[in-house]
Amino acid sequence: MKLKKLTGSREFLLFIIVIAMFAIVSIINPAFFSFKAVTDMLRNNAVTLVMALGMLGVMLVGGIDISITSTLALSGMAIGMLLKYGHIQSTLLCFLITMGIGTVCGALVGLLISRAGVPPIIASMGFMYIYRAMGYLISHGGEWASAAALGSFKNFGTDKLLGLSKVIWVIIACYVIFFIVMKWTRIGRQVYAVGSNAEAAEVSGIKVKNIKLMVHTVMGLLAGLAGSLQVAVYASAMPNMAQGGEMDVIAACVIGGVSMSGGRGSVVGALLGALIMAMIPKALPLLHIDALWQNMIKGVMILAVVVINVILQRIANRNALARREM
Amino acid sequence: MPESQYVLELKGITKIFPGVKALNRVQFQLRPGEVHALMGENGAGKSTFIKVITGVHKAEEGEMYLYGQKVDFKGPRDAQAAGIAAVYQHATSYPDLTVAENIFMGHEIIKHGIIQWRAMNEEANKLLKRMNADFSATAEMGTLSVAEQQIVEIAKALSTNAKIIILDEPTASLTKRESEELYRIVDQLREEGVSVIFISHRFEDMYRLASRVTVFRDSQYIGTYNVDEITNADLIKAMVGREISDLFPKPEVKIGKEMLKVEGLSRTGFFKDASFTVHAGEILGFTGLVGAGRTEVIESVCGITKPDAGRVYLEGKEIHVRKPKDAMDLGIVLLPEDRQKEGLLMSWGLGRNVTLPIMGKYAKGGLNDEKKEREISKQLLEDVDTKAVDIFQPASSLSGGNQQKVVVAKALGQEMKVVIMDEPTKGVDVGAKAEIYSIMGDLAKQGYAIILISSEMPEILGMADRIVVMCNGRITGVLDRGEATQEKILDLAMEKGSTTKGGAA
Amino acid sequence: MAGKSGRSINNIPESPIKKLIFGWEGILILVFVGVNIFCKWFSEYYNMFNLLRQMPVYLAEVFLMLVMAFILVMGEIDISVGSTVCLAATLACIISNAGAPFPLVILATLAVGTCCGLVNAFILTRFPELPPMIVTLSTQIIFRGIAEIVLGSGGSVSVANTAGFKAISGKIGSVPYILFLVVLLAVVAGIILGRSTFGRKVYAIGTNRLAARYSGVAVEKIRFIIYTLMGTAAGLCALFMVASSYGANTTTGTGFEMDAIAMAVFGGISSTGGKGNMIGGFISAFIIVCLRIGLGQRNVNGQVILLIIGVLLIAAVALPNIFGSLRKAVKK
Repeated sequence: MKLKKLTGSREFLLFIIVIAMFAIVSIINPAFFSFKAVTDMLRNNAVTLVMALGMLGVMLVGGIDISITSTLALSGMAIGMLLKYGHIQSTLLCFLITMGIGTVCGALVGLLISRAGVPPIIASMGFMYIYRAMGYLISHGGEWASAAALGSFKNFGTDKLLGLSKVIWVIIACYVIFFIVMKWTRIGRQVYAVGSNAEAAEVSGIKVKNIKLMVHTVMGLLAGLAGSLQVAVYASAMPNMAQGGEMDVIAACVIGGVSMSGGRGSVVGALLGALIMAMIPKALPLLHIDALWQNMIKGVMILAVVVINVILQRIANRNALARREM
Repeated sequence: MPESQYVLELKGITKIFPGVKALNRVQFQLRPGEVHALMGENGAGKSTFIKVITGVHKAEEGEMYLYGQKVDFKGPRDAQAAGIAAVYQHATSYPDLTVAENIFMGHEIIKHGIIQWRAMNEEANKLLKRMNADFSATAEMGTLSVAEQQIVEIAKALSTNAKIIILDEPTASLTKRESEELYRIVDQLREEGVSVIFISHRFEDMYRLASRVTVFRDSQYIGTYNVDEITNADLIKAMVGREISDLFPKPEVKIGKEMLKVEGLSRTGFFKDASFTVHAGEILGFTGLVGAGRTEVIESVCGITKPDAGRVYLEGKEIHVRKPKDAMDLGIVLLPEDRQKEGLLMSWGLGRNVTLPIMGKYAKGGLNDEKKEREISKQLLEDVDTKAVDIFQPASSLSGGNQQKVVVAKALGQEMKVVIMDEPTKGVDVGAKAEIYSIMGDLAKQGYAIILISSEMPEILGMADRIVVMCNGRITGVLDRGEATQEKILDLAMEKGSTTKGGAA
Repeated sequence: MAGKSGRSINNIPESPIKKLIFGWEGILILVFVGVNIFCKWFSEYYNMFNLLRQMPVYLAEVFLMLVMAFILVMGEIDISVGSTVCLAATLACIISNAGAPFPLVILATLAVGTCCGLVNAFILTRFPELPPMIVTLSTQIIFRGIAEIVLGSGGSVSVANTAGFKAISGKIGSVPYILFLVVLLAVVAGIILGRSTFGRKVYAIGTNRLAARYSGVAVEKIRFIIYTLMGTAAGLCALFMVASSYGANTTTGTGFEMDAIAMAVFGGISSTGGKGNMIGGFISAFIIVCLRIGLGQRNVNGQVILLIIGVLLIAAVALPNIFGSLRKAVKK
């Protein structure tokens, strides 16, 4: 019974897909089947992986946030400029600053959505413009912070702890915390409750507005964290970094089975979705497909996932109806 | 209860919403271990009153005493903590979460901040067992039937150790057998010393369960009566404020030629092999338990859903309806069951609502003729005597009964041959009911063929010329007006022989 | 009919002009005037002549807003249009370079856009349970992905024979053709949305899809038409984009969907469906166009202009809601 439930779950299916993709690519090109290749892939996709968690929370309450990469750029640019002009040196401080900026950014989006009743897509679109522009403004209109300007901070992207990149430790920490919070704490279940039936949640005493504010604030926090990771991993900060990356994050969640209408989705699903998104660009060159094809294949994949999902659901419904006796 | 003979007492409660007094100095007393029915027409203030008790609304005036102690709830949580739990009319569940989570939402079993899933599932299963439920605590709520969800809601109330449970129209969407199951559970609760407040439109519920009944009318308290002392007629009088004579003005109409004929209509999982005819001037009743497939058959005839097999004839000619518009063009007009979701656009003005299906007919070159629209809609709305100020006010500003009249007006504007009314008086107060019946009678007199889908026995017996009874997706019998009785209908509507419930659960 | 009480129901409407002036449109007109006064003060080059000269690039996006308004009124969204513009512009250049006569280039560009729209329309009507946001997100990636493949590693293409494109960016006096076209199409779209039975049905879908269906509105047919036309509008936009830069690259049209949505939403067209009108959308489009030109004349960074648009957008959607809840709170 328990096994059946596990194998029937969407996460299991995704897990199989991830393993299969990994296996096929490894067979064609054994170079991929190495610790370094895998950790490199994780490191390079740290930003998407981390932000997918925040997006999971936002989508669970039926929302969406397209301002996240603007938040990332603003917070990343902030430390980029601070480092460049020698105002700060501490890596820890950099992280705190980006996360602080991100939290404020996310909270503003959340306030607009939860308190002023603005639809999430519109609210986050407005802030997408605003934060991106602020990133430009603090960069004195388009200055970069290159690797040399970043000082010791860029080492965070390459340093290791217990044989594993620090960046990966950050990812792991985020996923572990989220997994526990979403599954085993009241606040996590309240997020699911709000997404599943906001009205009922209100009646049972859950502060729906506060939950919405919270998920957007956490989203901002993670976008800020991703700002630090982006600057560290790519050893540079520029105001147009990660532009359009929010779509990758949303796509990762969708592939991972997070419902757009709220209430459905899991941390494991988001992880697997983000991994699939990360493996596509890795896999293509190994399969001798031109990198130019990358985006189209990604798009087709997202479309295929959602369409197949609907078809499967329809078949399941039809079968359930056919079984009903009359 | 040493201080007071009542577990719950409310005095002089007044609740004001912008523009309306929803409750005007009402009172209420609940004795320990009693089942107390709360009755009144729609809009009498029952639901608002419940929300005051459960702390969802805050009353402007009045006091509330729990076990003789004055209490003042700031929100739903306070009421919950005080042992008051409500099961609302519309299931307030989380379809994506498990039964156990639904039961324990808001008071999860937690140790060191960590939810104890195993303990919660065990506890939930215990509660479900207590109510003889045959599903597990780990089942997903969305996969359960309405009745099963109702059981979960009650389990949720019990899980908070509630001493007062409020049931807001719990039987509204239950079948006969499911209602019986609910009665049993309520009996059991009473024996366990729980006090129950029971809101219902069905007299049957009240007689079966309650010992006392309190009636509200027009936001005011009318009185509290012992159930075995008050007659049906007196109770109606208390609720409506007048006696309803001649509620069913069924006119004697000569039945004309055959209008609609349905042969062997089937849709997998919903209904099978449905065949029936309806004639000009005839009112054909369609009844059966909720979920028997009545609405589904009709919706297939009207092109809302696609049947898998079967033929439909209109005036002897076979017709092929693929979408609702096809049916409407042919003159088959449906007045859907759910006014607010299917019948009307609640935020739109009445006029636009009425002309939505017909505007194409008087449009000039694709452009809407708004002057004509205003004339036509005014005429139609006045024809059915809608209590409205102007045609621009939103449909949501009307009472349920008047909304139903707008739905009727919307249908009247179309060129009809066959009129199908799906539960036209559901949630409509007694006064407006009479008006809708009289419109129905007039339509029959004018020679339209009418199909009336209804769960209300008196309505079906009072209005229909012939009665089609459905059970579990099949038509189990057709009764003539003369021979139909409540018992015969119930007999056909109940699942005879096979007692299996089907794979839906 | 039954028991008449002889009640009379009023059917004389309020003056629509009064409604416009005291509604959101009135505020928009004030904002429009304010923006022009500001620009005049801000930039010495801000005059009618320069405005008309610089307008064409910005006007191309207004085509998108005209159809996006219908989609938003339906309570839906299409975020693939920017990519459609990119693909259509790319193919327009390639077809032109292949030696096709210009009328054929025009047709082909519109056809490419329409085909992209058809893809969205087909998927969305065949699987109505899918959220438009997700479907158009994936086609957004796909359409630009195809353009990337077509453009190859260079990532850009320019038109060899610019004669035709020069011709469509011509002028009558000092008024560019595109302005005439935008105004003409806006009037047509405004009449369809506001006055026709088709438009009324679009509002019905946006207000309550189920009730619309029960009232005989062919919901999926209308959605199909609108999503297809959205693609056609993107093709038209692409044509004028190429006409202004004589080329296309992988970033052509990036963010256009958001600009079009911003114009419509700032114009009072609610993204939750059923609300707003074309007049508001049209005025707000010109507010944004004037603002861009005026600020651009003094070399204000494009990002700052986006910041201002973002603030305006948020103010436009948040303020009515905030005032609404304040009014409620005061009443209480």
